[in-house]
Amino acid sequence: METRHQAVTLFTALSLLIGIIVIIQLWLVAAALDALLSGQPSVLVPAAIASMFLLLINGGLLVLIIRLDNRLRRQPNQ
Amino acid sequence: MPAKHPDPVIASNESRTRNVPRWEEDFPIQMEGDHYVTRREFAKFLTLGSALLAAANAVIAFVGLRQSKQQFAPRLIPRASSMPQGGSTLFRYPTDQDPCILVRSANGDLLAYSQVCTHLSCAVVHQPDQNQLFCPCHRGSFSESEGRPIAGPPTRRLPRIKLEQRGDDVYAVGIEV
Repeated sequence: METRHQAVTLFTALSLLIGIIVIIQLWLVAAALDALLSGQPSVLVPAAIASMFLLLINGGLLVLIIRLDNRLRRQPNQ
Repeated sequence: MPAKHPDPVIASNESRTRNVPRWEEDFPIQMEGDHYVTRREFAKFLTLGSALLAAANAVIAFVGLRQSKQQFAPRLIPRASSMPQGGSTLFRYPTDQDPCILVRSANGDLLAYSQVCTHLSCAVVHQPDQNQLFCPCHRGSFSESEGRPIAGPPTRRLPRIKLEQRGDDVYAVGIEV
């Protein structure tokens, strides 16, 4: 069972991971927009699929955070 | 009433044993509890941003697929066949809001491009003596033969207009981005 102090550290690590994924998604949007304006539509669908996959990972990490938070709220005094 | 523990983390945990409502936990007094809530909310906010970026990528893919399948009606370019070598004329294609430029190169080829500079959308002009299309706003240049950027800030080529000769008339029939 985690203490709230440990949870802060865990949340920081998970937020960092989510942040890195968001930056990759931001890069994907910029690259896709550039490809669209340059007339290279072949890369647009793979970029969208990759972005969706990264969203799924982020969703999974958020579920992890919510479960951890709920567990911490139910936890008795330590 | 029992005394509050001096350690804020333990004090924060102790507060949960006293049937504290959920909303009260989200507005903690202790710094440690505040960090906890801030990081949790930040993670939720980042995931929302992630969803928006994924949606933006999907929209870009949809627009790209739609654009690649789009067909435009042919449009006659007036006085195109009588244009001398090194000459140029302006026309609109595929709509009246899309300015284009038709040039006749030194070897007699007819070439047409969008007149909108790919840098910041100024109108490009033909410079037959240098075989290039020149953007006067930021001194960008595109090659006359392919429309590729050769100097200045533009990084993308000019969209090329496909031409079709029908008798003495020249028609714009499509766009090659």
